[in-house]
Order: sequence, then C-alpha cells, then structure tokens
Amino acid sequence: MNTINKNKLWSDMKSKYSIYFVLAALFVISWLANENFVSVENLSNISTQIAVGTILAFGQTILIISGMLDLSSGSVLALAGVLSISVYKMTGSLIIAFAVAIITGVICNILNGLMVTKFKTPPFIATLAMMTMARGAALMYTNGQNIYQIGDYVKFGQGKIMGVPTPVIFMAVILILTWYILKHTVFGRSIYAIGGNEEAANASGISVNKIKMKAFIFNGILVGIAGVLFMSRVNGAMPNGAIGYEFKALTAAVIGGTSFTGGLGTASGTLAGAFIVGFLDNIMVLVGVNSYLQQIVRGAIIALAVIYDIWAKTKRTKRKHDLK
Amino acid sequence: MKKWLVIALIVSLMASLLTGCSQPAPAAQDGAKAPEASGEKDVYRVAYIARAQADSFAAWLANAVIEEAAKYDNIKLDVFDGQANDDTENGLIENAITNKYDVIIVQPNNGEAQRPYVEKAVAAGIKVITTNARISGIEGASSVDADPYAQAAVNAVVAISQIPQNANVVVLKGPPGNFHADARRDSWQKEFFDKRTDVKIVGEEIANWNKDEAMNYMETWVQANDKIDAIIAMNDNMAAGALEVIKDNPKFKDILSYGVDGTAEAVLLIEQGLMTSTSLQSAYDLATALMDTTNKLVTGAEKQIDIDIDCPLINKDNVQQYIEMHKKAGAIK
Amino acid sequence: MAKQLNAIQKHVKGDLKAMNPDIKLRVSDVEKFFPGVKALDKINFSVKKGTVHVICGENGAGKSTLMKVINGIYKQDSGRILIDEKVVEINNPIQARSLGISMIFQELNYMPEMTIEESLFVGNWPRDKYGKVDWKEIRKRTLELLEKEKLSYSPETKLKDLTVSDIQMLEILKAISYNSDIIIMDEPTSAITQKEVEVLFNKINELRDRGTSIIYISHKMDEIFRIADEITVFRDGCVVDSRPKEDYDMDTVITQMVGRKLESVFQKEDMELGDQVLQVKGLTNPGKFENVSFDIREGEIIGFAGLMGAGRTEVMRALFGLDAYQSGEIIIKNEKTDIKNVKSSIDKKMVMLSEDRRRYGIIPVRSVKENVSLSSLKRFIYGGRLHGEEEDRTVNDYCKSMNVKTPDMETSIEALSGGNQQKVILAKWMVTNPDILIMDEPTRGIDVGAKHEIYKLMTILAKQKKALIMVSSELPELIMMCDRIYVMAKGKITGMLKREEFTQEKIMAFATATKSQSGVDII
Repeated sequence: MNTINKNKLWSDMKSKYSIYFVLAALFVISWLANENFVSVENLSNISTQIAVGTILAFGQTILIISGMLDLSSGSVLALAGVLSISVYKMTGSLIIAFAVAIITGVICNILNGLMVTKFKTPPFIATLAMMTMARGAALMYTNGQNIYQIGDYVKFGQGKIMGVPTPVIFMAVILILTWYILKHTVFGRSIYAIGGNEEAANASGISVNKIKMKAFIFNGILVGIAGVLFMSRVNGAMPNGAIGYEFKALTAAVIGGTSFTGGLGTASGTLAGAFIVGFLDNIMVLVGVNSYLQQIVRGAIIALAVIYDIWAKTKRTKRKHDLK
Repeated sequence: MKKWLVIALIVSLMASLLTGCSQPAPAAQDGAKAPEASGEKDVYRVAYIARAQADSFAAWLANAVIEEAAKYDNIKLDVFDGQANDDTENGLIENAITNKYDVIIVQPNNGEAQRPYVEKAVAAGIKVITTNARISGIEGASSVDADPYAQAAVNAVVAISQIPQNANVVVLKGPPGNFHADARRDSWQKEFFDKRTDVKIVGEEIANWNKDEAMNYMETWVQANDKIDAIIAMNDNMAAGALEVIKDNPKFKDILSYGVDGTAEAVLLIEQGLMTSTSLQSAYDLATALMDTTNKLVTGAEKQIDIDIDCPLINKDNVQQYIEMHKKAGAIK
Repeated sequence: MAKQLNAIQKHVKGDLKAMNPDIKLRVSDVEKFFPGVKALDKINFSVKKGTVHVICGENGAGKSTLMKVINGIYKQDSGRILIDEKVVEINNPIQARSLGISMIFQELNYMPEMTIEESLFVGNWPRDKYGKVDWKEIRKRTLELLEKEKLSYSPETKLKDLTVSDIQMLEILKAISYNSDIIIMDEPTSAITQKEVEVLFNKINELRDRGTSIIYISHKMDEIFRIADEITVFRDGCVVDSRPKEDYDMDTVITQMVGRKLESVFQKEDMELGDQVLQVKGLTNPGKFENVSFDIREGEIIGFAGLMGAGRTEVMRALFGLDAYQSGEIIIKNEKTDIKNVKSSIDKKMVMLSEDRRRYGIIPVRSVKENVSLSSLKRFIYGGRLHGEEEDRTVNDYCKSMNVKTPDMETSIEALSGGNQQKVILAKWMVTNPDILIMDEPTRGIDVGAKHEIYKLMTILAKQKKALIMVSSELPELIMMCDRIYVMAKGKITGMLKREEFTQEKIMAFATATKSQSGVDII
C-alpha cells in the first residue's frame, strides 16, 4: 500500500511541477556553461528583457485558459505605446499618457471581445484581424516614422525603484494580480470552467459571454501597460515595434503548461515558461552560439518542454482512468 | 452538394489566377489612340511601388517621394505597398502594367524576384526606375540608388584610425539574406576587419534592424565583457539601441559607435557626443533624384539614367547641417 | 516445486478443455496490471458460437478492461486469447476487426460535424476501381440501411443534430455492417428507448441465429434475463461465476455482483406532499413542443415518459433556461417567472441534471472539488478571497453523503466512472440548495449499485420536501419511483397517470398515441 502512495506522490509531483524541473535544470546548465550567467546584473537583465513579453503572456494565459487567445497583442501594444507617447509630448503629463495607453489596449480588446461574443467569430480570426488593424492604425498615425525625444517618459521602462528595474516591478505586480484572479475570484474559476467545457459551464449557471468580455478587458489593460514599457525602454515611439510579441507571449504561456484545449494553466507556470525562454536566449548569446543555430535550439526546446509536459499530464490521468 | 461548391470555388480561383498571369497588357481600345503615340501629355501617371510601409526607411522614402512629386505639375503619383512580400509586389507591378502607367518606380523587396516583372514592364513600353536597391542589368530600365557598400565603407575607413589597438568590438547585423545588410557587413569586413586583424569581435548577432533586439544583445555583452571599445552596427537603429544600454555607464563613456542611415535619432546622438559617426542614406536625396529622373524620362530628355546618390559621412564636425535637414523636414522639432 | 506442478496441472487441464468446437472465443488466464492496481486477475471464460453471453458487474469490476483487451485497445500482461480454439495476438482494434471482433462503446466518441453516411463508413471506405472513395456506393448503402432499420434521417444529417439515442443506434448498425463473428456491446441500451430496445433485441436474435457470438455488457436485470444465453459475473477484477441463464436468478446475480445482498426492486416510501411549488402553463416552442402544462408539489416525484424525439428534453431545457421558449407561463411558488438563462433558474432554486453529462455536466479536466463547487462559487469566494477550507469541507461532506468513490477531491473528474461522475454533478446541484430538481435520464449508463444509491438519494430529497422531475426511458424505474407520470408524444403531453394507474402498457399507449388522453389529435 505504501509503495503505491509514494509512487503516486512522485508522479503527481512530476506532472504538476514538471516545468519547474525543466527551469531548474536549464538554470544549472547555464551556470555551468558560463560563469557570468549567475551574476546579479545578468539575472536582472534577463528579468527586464522578458518583462514586456511576460506581461503579455499573463494576458494570454487568462485568454487561453478560457479557450481563446490573442494574436493582436504586439500590434495593439505598439498602437497603445505610440498614442501614449504622442499624448505625453502634447500634455507633458505622465499620468494621462499612461491612462491613454491602457484605454487604447482596453478599447481594442473590447472590440476583440465583441467580435467573439456578439458575432461568434473564432478568437483566432477576430484577433488576427485586430492585429492588422491596430498595426495599420499605428503606422497611419505616425506616418511610418518613429517619435523620438520622449523626455521623462523613459522613467517607466528604464527607471529603478530600490535597485529593481521598473519593468520587473510591473511584471511582479501583474504576476501576483494574475495569480490572485485565477485562485481567489469567481471570475478565475469561471474561466477555467468555460475553457474546460463551455457548454457545461453555461449549463452550470456561468455567464459565458460576460466572462469572456472581462477576460479580454483584463488582457487589454496588460497590453496597454506592455506598450508603455516597451516604448519607454527603446526610448522612442516605434509603430513597428514589438512585431511578433504575441507569439513570444503564447510561447511562454504554452511552455508554462497553459493548454490550448482550455481549462488548464497557471500564472507561475507562465512565468516559468517565460524564464525558460529568457535563460535560453541569454546563455546562447553568452556562450556565442551561431545565430541560426540559436533559432533551431529555441524551437527545439519549446517542442521538448511542451511534449514533456503533455506526457507527464497524460500519464497521470491515464493511470487513474484505467481504474474504471 | 458541399463538395461541388468547393470544387467550383477552387476552379474559379484557379481560373482567375491563370487569367491574371497570362497575356501582356491588352491592345488599345477601338477609336482611342495609345497615349505614348500622341507625344507630349499634360500629366503623366507614375506608380511608386514601395517594398513595405512597415519598414521605417521605406516609409520615409515613400513620404519623401510623395512630397517631391507634388512639386511637379506634370506628374501624378500613386503609391502602392508591397507589404514586404514578393508575391504582392510582383502582383502590383503587373497591375501597374495593366493600368498603363507611364512610369513605374519599383523599390524591390527582393531584386531577383521582381526582375522578370520589371522586364515585362519595360517590354510593354513603360518607363521603369528601380531604387533602393537597384536591380542591375535590365536593358532599358533606369535606376537611382545609394550603394550600401559605400555607406558602410565611409565609416569603416575612418574607424581604422579611430579604433584603438587590440580593441574589443561588438557587431550588430541586419536581417539575414538582406542585400543591404549583407553588403554593409561585407564592406566592414574588407575595409576594416581584414586590415585591422588586431581587433577582436567579442559578440556578433543579428538584431534585424531593431532597436529592442540590439538592446537585449548589448545588455548581455556588457555582462560578459569588461572591455568593449566599439559598437559596429549596420544601421542607426541598432547602434542607438546598443548605446541606450550603456548611456549611464561610466565604464563605457568613451565607447565608439558607428551606424548607417543618418536618422534623426542618430544625428542627435552624434551632436551629444554619444555616437561617433554614421553615413547619410538620404531618402530626401533619393526622392529628389527619383522625381528628377522621372521627369527627364517622360519629357524625353533622357532615355535611360543610372544615378548613385552620395552617402556622406556624418560626424561631430558636420552634424549641424544634417540636424537642420531633419528640422526642415519636420523629423526633429 | 509445488507451485510449478500446480501451474503445469492448470495448464494441462486448460488445454484439455480447449478442444471444444462450439467455443468461438476463449479467454485463458488473462491478467492485466496498471500502475498500483491489478485490473484483471486470472480471467477464464468462454463464449460459444451463436450465443448471447452477458457480462455483468459493478463499475471497476473489470468488464470494460477485459473487453478492451479483446478488442485490441490493451494488451494483456499474461494469459491467452483464443478464437476458434487457436491462440491469437490482438495488438490493435484494426487487427481485432480483421479477426472478426468489433465493439460498440458505452461512452460514445463521435465527431459532431460528421454526417451519418460518413460515420457509418469511416475507416472502412468502399473504393471504386480508381481507388477513390466511392461516395455513390456509400450513399446507396446508407439509404438501404436507414430504410431497413426504419430511420427517417437523411444520410447528410450531421451527428450533432442527432440525439444520444440515435447516435448509439448508428454505432450498432456500424458494427453489424462489419460482418463480425464476435460483437461486443457495452451497455447498448443505456441511451435508447423501449421501442429501440425491441428493435435491437430482434437484431441480436437475428445475429445469434446466424451464428454470431455476442458479448453483451449490461446492468439491467430484466434485459439480461431476456436476452442472455449465458451469464458471467465479474467482481473486483475476477470472474465470480459463469452459468447458463437457466441456472441463475436475478437476486443471485446481484448478490454475486455486489458481494452482498441487495434488493432488486427498490421500495418507494409513502410521502406526505406539500404545496404546489411549480406550475407550467402552455409552454410552447414551435417545432419542438407545444402547449405543455404540468405541475408539481413539494415532496413529489413526477416522471416524464415518451419515445425518442417526444420533446421531453427540449421542454426541460427550456424550463431550465438553456433554450428559449416562445410562449407560456412558468410559475414558481405562486410567482410568475421569466426564465431567461440558467443563472435565473438557479436563483429561483430550480436546477437540472442534463441528459448528456459529458457535454453539459462535467468539466473534464478540472478536479472533482471544482466541479462540485462550480454552481455555488459565491459561497466559497467572498470577502476578496477563496475560503479553501470551507470549500474542502463542504465538498467532502456532500461527496461522502452521496458515496462518491474517488481517490481524492483533487482528482480530475474525467478519471471517475460514469456513476460517480453523475453523483458529483448531483452534489454540485445539491450545494445550491434547490427546491426543484429536473433529472434527465439520471441513471443512464450507471451500474446497479450506483443506481440504487441515486434512487435512495431521490427519496431523501423528496422527504426534504424537494420537488423532483424525472425524465426517463426506463419504464420500470419510472413506475418504481414516481407519484405521477406525464407522457409525451411528438411535442405534446398526451396523458398523465397517477400511481395507482401505472402500467407499462398504458404508458406505452400514450407514448405512441395518435389521440391524447383528453381526446385531442396528435399529428
């Protein structure tokens, strides 16, 4: 009897925490590969570098858990950032500028949400459309040119509070917020249910459309914040910035155990996924891996991490399933 | 039932593709005379096919061309966006041929991919100019370009005397397979690295012309290297990104840096003494040359022209005039 | 040494037995292990040619596991399988099919967007002389089959537009079309109505007379004794006993299954009824149901009987707020109510256990705990946080009182057996403290032991003055549990019987009626 329990505990741990094992393993390998990896400054850099993508990833996590996704994050963040900086240059007020970014992110995502709930558009298509529209809007507004000399705006992305870079602080706060929402709110439980089985969730009394809209709005706020951080970090409003960032975000979420079939995912898992990619990028540059090889390795690690995670999960449910 | 619908759709799709790619421009309609045959016209229609609107340099160039074209009464300009996609750009060239433009200006996404379509345009009797980067070796076509090899070379040549002995440098490259990126890197190799074999490259990565990617790489390099003496970037965006990382770091206050383009951001950095030099790839000069060439071609003054615009070196000594240039154009307020 | 001698003896004995030409399928000393559990423990039994061999046992007894071994989904860890007294290796279902074995599953896996003709021939496409799929042939054969079985569907109808019972019918037809010698049917009548059962049994007899062997898994005692030639009882991964039907009686079978004495018939207790708690007047949704009126009192259990397609589920879905209705009144506790969505129904203390629990009942990947608390989230999440211990306690209490068998509350609900899943869903609704419970086929696909538990629960609920509406296709269960039964046909209520008037014949008469009780024509 005891052996069965111990085995069960070990495989439960393996499946639930598999991604953290991968993260830890990667950390150790990187440490051995280059001593500069573990310096405080390097780790701080990595955290700053992944901050924007990870903030987007938290939004994706909420969406994917509920059975949706967002292909427009990169474009919307560019639009939000560009408008925000432009407003800052006009008004001189950081607060108004920050608000503009958030409002832009929210409006674009409300549109996403309406397409999905009112017009029954699959989220893939709806956010794909928004991806092109938002990018076009950003380019149109700036005539394709970058806006420089943004003055104090840089403080958002390049400042430090008690030695911690501001993007990392934003990331940490949003991590806690996402975790809190998933665990301690009715909204959080509802999105797990909707993603797990939308019809059953509906038949259990959950207001599916309302929750979906809320999920997009939350995502919109995060995308707006990401826009501010991205532009202030590159010290300019770049309508072409952050192309492909939605895929960075999806990658982190998926590696972190957020399942595309819906109903599964965690905030800490996504953070782990983001760090796995961040560590990998960093160590490959430190070690001097050829650029093309880097891309191959990146893709391979993503595939491996996800396969391992799925395998670990399948083993757990398969075993119990056969006890019928 | 559903099956037949799908088949009908596919067949009609294929039919439209086939007819689209078939014969050259249809013959003139009954009664109307071909415009070229009637000699001088009041207004000439010019199609400008940009490689992409999302590329900030391409956007700069397109805007400059539009502004320049406005100065000519006899030129009506239409701008098209190739969306950084060969198929799209080729399709646009064909459309322009069908719509019987007098002049087609092509800024290729990939010269070899656009070559056959440019040749088609020339064969249809339309005047064609290729630019940034020119497609060389097309009989009867004109070109206006800046030479990326030269753009990098003007920096590399001065770097020979500026970069200290046994220096550590980092290199930031443009997208792989990009003609400009490759030519510039090639230029640095031949004009600098082959001649200064004492210099060590401690980091070289592809930052895809992007500022944020360059920043990430520089941050990591700063971790791994105590001494970095110069930043060699294939464009100003990436150089600015690398500089952004070390701007408050006293350890790197004497670092040298080189770029290409002469963007507003770069000239400001040079003025502030933070960036060493760049070379101007003036979209304004390109636009002026393009419209001038267009005018000469349509009025028959010239049959075929090839122009290279200058790529002057911009450094602390001469930066002011370029700041003025950007101010006049509104890029610097 | 002694152990080895014993093994050889058993082996020899087994081999001596193995010379019977009447035996189509023989399972010999088959064992199967899964991590931490022995699912099959030295299984020995045989199926004769041209017989119906019924296998019964509670969930978890190993019947499904053994069937999956025979069908090639699992490979046994030791032991042999013989067909026509020759040892065979069955590594996958395709191989099984080529050996003449096909299986109809209990948990239907179907693709909603597939059409009837596609699903009948999937994986078995007839091909024309060029090697392309012969759609003409498929259409022809489908039409023939549909006509022969008297099903009024078009071959192009998508599976998502069929009811659960239709889909199961199709599964049966598919297996028959493979011309298998051995057909395994896992609870085939769990989702079809009486009339369909008759059709199925005719078909089974037909096949049996033709020499096909049928392995039939079921919990339904009366069916078992009707259709079986031989019965084998499983319990805890072992064969308890195997006898010809004549040597068995219902009580013995149940006792062997359960390992303890259990009444085969559930006794309904007399109940004192309270006030009228729900009144439905003239509920109409054109095309689905028309002018449906009924009422129910506190402590009452009313049944809804009818054939497949009578409109019972549609009425309940509209009542619960899942579907819209065009006209009619719903009066709960003397207050006229407009049920716009599920939430408003739950707020009015009316809940529904859906017919298709896989589709509308469970959130498969989430834990038992989360499934139980799903409709009462505000009870555990308030004041800005989740009160985990409260949730754990409440969920544990309800699951214990319903005897839900699960390794723990954090297990994914999809790992539980059908019966336990149903209990979890029932627990979910009980946490909301409802007054009215609509139960659509509550004991479908559940073993005898669990069925009794649900009946017991229903009785307790009725005693607590809840009102229960039970939609069911099992007439015996309706007759056993209900105070009154409404019968529907073609979207209308054709009759209502009081408990003293209950007979299967009367219910059937209303279910197939062309005239209703009140004399109104049913078209």
